Amino acid sequence: MISRTNRHFIRRRAPGAQWATAVLIAFAVFAPTSSGQTTTPTSAKSSTPAHKRAAADAAPGAPVKTIGNRNAPITMEVFSDYQCPSCGSFFENTLRAMIQDYVANGKVYLVHHDFPLQMHTYSGQAARWANAAAMIGQFQDVDAALFDNQAKWPVDGDIEKYVAGAISPANFKRIQGILKGCTAAPPTSKADRTVPQVDPGCPVDQYIVQDIVLGYQVPVQATPTFIIHYKGQSYPASSGIITWPILKQFFDTLLSQ
Amino acid sequence: MTPNETRGSLARILLILGRLALAAIFIVAAYAKLRPQAAVPWSGASIKTSLSLFAMQVDSYQLLPPQLVSPVAHLLPPFELFLGLWLLSGVFLPYSALVTSLLIAAFFATQVRTYRAGLEINCGCFGPGERLGPKTLLHDGAFLALALAITIGAFLQRRKRRAESAPIAAVSTAQRAD
Repeated sequence: MISRTNRHFIRRRAPGAQWATAVLIAFAVFAPTSSGQTTTPTSAKSSTPAHKRAAADAAPGAPVKTIGNRNAPITMEVFSDYQCPSCGSFFENTLRAMIQDYVANGKVYLVHHDFPLQMHTYSGQAARWANAAAMIGQFQDVDAALFDNQAKWPVDGDIEKYVAGAISPANFKRIQGILKGCTAAPPTSKADRTVPQVDPGCPVDQYIVQDIVLGYQVPVQATPTFIIHYKGQSYPASSGIITWPILKQFFDTLLSQ
Repeated sequence: MTPNETRGSLARILLILGRLALAAIFIVAAYAKLRPQAAVPWSGASIKTSLSLFAMQVDSYQLLPPQLVSPVAHLLPPFELFLGLWLLSGVFLPYSALVTSLLIAAFFATQVRTYRAGLEINCGCFGPGERLGPKTLLHDGAFLALALAITIGAFLQRRKRRAESAPIAAVSTAQRAD
């Protein structure tokens, strides 16, 4: 009988201490999570979307890599690589539907950021074409053409052919003119997060590097990575492929607030 | 105190500490998913937004059809909170530990599959921000080991307690018969 009583005592003693221990453990487990949150993008650093800060710094004639109305209630910034299969899939299955639906209806403002990865041979060059197209207001068509033909141009690096097929010959000539001086290797993001070199003769490289540096600050760890801003608030960066119905549900939740 | 009693006490203390640690992990995991993800105060709308954001993380695993993603994302954090509180209470510990072990095993298997498939996504384990990688697999593997140890320990303790109380019950019955 005595041993049973003792056992019950051991089991039931100091319930407050058990709760206190749980709280301490919770704090210990939670502490790294809290610090992890500070690494999330613009939410921790500033409530101003990165594209607005970038736009403020941009010189006249800078590429406009955005789609939709900049006064839309939701802004979505996407860090993408034209040669990354997940980015292609994300564009085809999610962003395309979003552009046709929520961007066209003025609910979402889409901002593209280049984050060409070093491991992809032609992604830097593709970013140059997209930026040059953005300088003459042809970003949306060229952006779509690059993703639509993602399985083709990385085979031999002949990006020109698909850009030419997406826009008028006159505009294609203008883009060719912009890229005429681009002879050195294009900038790409580095694993050690060093700032890539700019080809001084290439007018678009500085904008690609600007995006890459912005990506380092987020930090972009994989492509595609996207950040959503609503009513001056920034939500933590997400990466990977999200289907349109689920993304739409998130937008609807924000818009219903 | 005999060596057997010392061992028994140590096992009980370890079981309590392990249970509290597991409870804390689940409560923190639920809190991290439910709390406002932007600089807004707690409200019904903020919880709804957080759960919708968590649904995107569930979706990025590319495991569930879109019609199942949302229900799973909306049920999982409250269930984690319930499990955490159940573990904390210590009521029916063998069963709470068993359910916890099964849940962590399911998480772990999903993460291994996703990592092997080369998907570069956020884990979503403790809210947004943590990338799924070796570190995630390591800590979830450790959580699984802890949950399994507690489950086994809780069942062993229950069996031992039943074995110890059986003769006492038999004596009590005999005494009543006298």
